[in-house]
Amino acid sequence: ALPADWSAEKDFKPIGSITAFTQRTIEPVGPHFLAHARRARHKRTFSEDDRI
Amino acid sequence: MAEKSATPGVAPGDRCAIGISFGNSYSSIACTIDDSPVVIANEDGDRQIPTVLSYVDGEEYTGNQAKALLVRNPKNTAVAFKDFLGQDFKSIDPTHCHAAAHPEDKNGTISFTIQDQVEGEPSTLSVSEISTRYLRRLVQSASDYIGKKVTSAVVTVPTNFGEKQRDALIKAAQAADLEILQLVNEPIASVLAYDARPEAKLEDKIVVVADLGGTRSDVAVIASRGGLYTLLATAHDYEFAGAQLDKVLMDHFAKEFMKKNANVDPRENAKSLAKLKAESEATKKALSIGTNANFSVESLAEGIDFQLTINRLRYETIARKVFEGFNRLVEGVIKKAGLDVLDIDEVILSGGTSHTPRIASNLRSIFPGTTAILAPSTSPTALNPSELQARGAALQASLIQEYESDDIDQSTHPAVTTVNHISNAIGVLTVSEDGEEIFTPIIAPETAVPARRTVHVEAKDGGNVLVKVVEGGTHIKVTKPEPKVKENGTKEDDDEDSDFDSEEEEEEHREKIWKIGSTLAEAAIKDVKKGGKVEVAITVGNDLSVIITTREVGGKGGVRGSLKAP
Repeated sequence: ALPADWSAEKDFKPIGSITAFTQRTIEPVGPHFLAHARRARHKRTFSEDDRI
Repeated sequence: MAEKSATPGVAPGDRCAIGISFGNSYSSIACTIDDSPVVIANEDGDRQIPTVLSYVDGEEYTGNQAKALLVRNPKNTAVAFKDFLGQDFKSIDPTHCHAAAHPEDKNGTISFTIQDQVEGEPSTLSVSEISTRYLRRLVQSASDYIGKKVTSAVVTVPTNFGEKQRDALIKAAQAADLEILQLVNEPIASVLAYDARPEAKLEDKIVVVADLGGTRSDVAVIASRGGLYTLLATAHDYEFAGAQLDKVLMDHFAKEFMKKNANVDPRENAKSLAKLKAESEATKKALSIGTNANFSVESLAEGIDFQLTINRLRYETIARKVFEGFNRLVEGVIKKAGLDVLDIDEVILSGGTSHTPRIASNLRSIFPGTTAILAPSTSPTALNPSELQARGAALQASLIQEYESDDIDQSTHPAVTTVNHISNAIGVLTVSEDGEEIFTPIIAPETAVPARRTVHVEAKDGGNVLVKVVEGGTHIKVTKPEPKVKENGTKEDDDEDSDFDSEEEEEEHREKIWKIGSTLAEAAIKDVKKGGKVEVAITVGNDLSVIITTREVGGKGGVRGSLKAP
């Protein structure tokens, strides 16, 4: 439910950002990793990759 | 795991690649046929090929033929040498070589003295040379099966195999004319073997891989997120493995033998001991399949034949201590990862010792009913635990064999593999009928970024809906039905009579619940139909910035916004 007094620009209100994260190593194995490596090396985003 | 290719690899077009699982006790080879992995049998018909190399009259033997020679030709037979690759002599444990050729320190390299020629002085063979000769035979068996010369392979290694050991393995393979495309961690190969099955669904899950081998046991906790795997914790143990189970049976049969033949201990004579060990292992394997097994050796000691039957229940009783060791190993590594058994979605049993039904049923009792235990005795869809690593390696080999070796090196570079992982889950808050806030996770904790996930959330009443995106953490809530004396939260299910009791006795109830963390963003979707659904898509970028898109399912437009990187 939306409180009556709620309002924000374009109906979106950013409040925080991600608080906790760690650097870890993913295993360079499997089809999904190879897709990830391809994106990382060509600096593509998900949607750009989808279009190709 | 980046490995340097010392020599230029084979051109991708000329490659014929296989997967190899190279173990201390057994090795396997596998190829892919029409994208599905097939484990290859050698010329003896064995799919699990003992990692043994033996010489008689200048003739080379490997696999089961070499293993049989441990009885009458132990000095010229090398066993359990794989873990010695790239090691210092001081750091190795030669226990398992006691009944075969002994490792020696020769100018800093671990070597064996073996009579590998018909005549002349025995040769000093480095562990690297032994491995090369053994790998050559493995590759030959694969080439014979495929009908084409095998040029390349993906080989599995333990997670604690150091850089020096990896390099030594690559060099030994190159000396056998085998190009190593990539070295893959053993538990990851097992997960891949399961995930690559056509019926497998891509899910975010936490997987425990228990690789129970002959001379060592390795357990790993892995976060599987969108098909990307991250190792969260590993444990290695050399006390609880198949060899200890063999020992239990050897002692049992030796004592029974001595009851009938006083003063003759088959463990005191090397040849008798070798026979006892070989037959004990065979009996152990038979007890994994049947509930009764026969132990029989001709001329076990002092020319006396010996025969005895043992049933599975008896074996499980005498081997209980070892079995409990496996439980502790698994529980320990979950704790090391900072997790609880309730966090584990899947347990994959891998390695030869995993065929033991009792080990799987013991693990079944530690984990909640929702955890899948993938072993032959607990799951009808389980794969053969002995074949997992070779299958995983073969799949990886087929995926990368068309790549240039430079491409493989660059893709496995730490710059690509070391990425941020979010520690908390990200999800949406919904309010239930009784006014309680419910957290629906969208992106699971320990997910590698960049990541993108979408969920559909029900909006029962319709109207204007507030989508609240928050972080969430899990914790374990313990509710005790009635105060009753219990040592601790974990269930020990192995006391003789507890099998019955645990069903009747009221146990404390442990459940995983979400704790709501900080709010990330709010968005409003207006005029949602009654009973409609709202789609929320979250994309976390490399830099941990967040893009949130939300709209009514079937509706137009929607709200889109982004959050800055922390």
